[in-house]
Parts: sequence; C-alpha cells; structure tokens
Amino acid sequence: MKLGVFMSDYRTGADVVDRLSADKLGIIFVGNGIYRATLKEGGSADPILQKSATFYVLTEDLESRGFTAANLAGNIKAVTYSDVVDLIFNDYEKIIWI
Amino acid sequence: MATTKMGFIIKSLPYKTEASRLAMTHAIASQTVEIYLEDGDMVEPVVCFIGDGVLNCLKNQATAKHYDITSIEMHIRNSLLLDLKVLYCKEDLDRFGIKEDALIMDAEELGGETKAQIVPYSEIQKEMDSVNHLQFF
Repeated sequence: MKLGVFMSDYRTGADVVDRLSADKLGIIFVGNGIYRATLKEGGSADPILQKSATFYVLTEDLESRGFTAANLAGNIKAVTYSDVVDLIFNDYEKIIWI
Repeated sequence: MATTKMGFIIKSLPYKTEASRLAMTHAIASQTVEIYLEDGDMVEPVVCFIGDGVLNCLKNQATAKHYDITSIEMHIRNSLLLDLKVLYCKEDLDRFGIKEDALIMDAEELGGETKAQIVPYSEIQKEMDSVNHLQFF
C-alpha cells in the first residue's frame, strides 16, 4: 500500500511509526511534529528520520515555530498546505494521523 | 511594604496548547494587580523557560503571517519591554544545540532595555526557591 502518515507530536508516536510498513511510505511533519525534522537533541537527529520513507514538513508550521527550510536535512522536503492536498490526493492511497 | 515574588516556569512547547501563552499573559498581567495592593507593596514576576519550553524562545516565529495570530515571540518581547525577568535554561538550550543568536534576547525594536538571560539550571532553581508562588505551565 501507499501510506501517508501525519505526525503532529514531538514526544509521542515514534513507536507506532517505527513498526509501520508500506510499499510507499510518506511521513508528513505538521504542528509540533516539525521539531523532529529540525532539532538534533543531544547532537543526534530524530531516529524516525532513519526510516525508509519520504519526509515532508509543512512550511507554515515550520516558520510559525521560528525555523526555515534551511534548518532541514537534505532528505526532508518543505511543502505548503496546497502541496499537502496534492500529496493526499495523488501520492498516497491511505492517510493516517499519529 | 512587601514584595510578592511569583515564578512562572514554562516547560511546554509554544503552540498546539495554550500553556505557554497563558504563562506569559499571566506573568505580564501580574504587574497590574498592584492597583489592589497597599501603598508600597509590589509584585515581582520572573519567567523561566526549561526543558522543551526553551523552544518558545526562538525568534522569527511567523504565526501572524501564516495563521494571523500573535506569536509567543511577541509575548516574550512584551515581557522584556515591561522589564520582567526572563531566564532561559542553558543546559536545555545546549541539549537542542540552540545558540544565542537564534533566541529572543531583547525588545530593542519596541524600545525595551531589559534583556533575557541564559543561565544554568541552578540559577533557575534558586529563583524557584525564592518565589512566594510557583506555577508550572
């Protein structure tokens, strides 16, 4: 399946995502989930970024929290609300919110 | 004549919940209660950011642009404009790799002179010991 996952928390949900499996997996960081894409707590990036997936960050939530796309690692793409709508309708068959 | 010292300790992330915003508005509003006090009595608030709460202190928060709401950044700057004592925990900033140039350190563009301070947790502990009322957000 093609699975899109919204992550909106910084401290919870990683255990669930860690066990998810899909032919095509997309992880979209929104809300407080954007900290997973920007911070290197204790010098290390969030372990979830090691997962075999395509990563996206909602630009509006990124910039609201004082970050920009320049704070993202190379494998994470900043997307707008409009882009997210396209992802939902064109790229993934199922969408879940963690 | 007495001074009542109040500690507002912010450990929550800036958005999704209202905790940080409530802490800041309470801290700012705490000064207005002086009208109910006896002559010479004072209220002295101190605002401390610890743990995940230090992520409130990043500058360039674009909430007005994207969501048409005031940012926590503006609340912090208003606190500094009103000469509130604002402390950031050094150990937690270090843990996230956040440098001083990424932080809201003053309210100079509003005409404020007071600056935020980056201090070790031990200093924040001393503040918590010294206040009459301690509130965690």
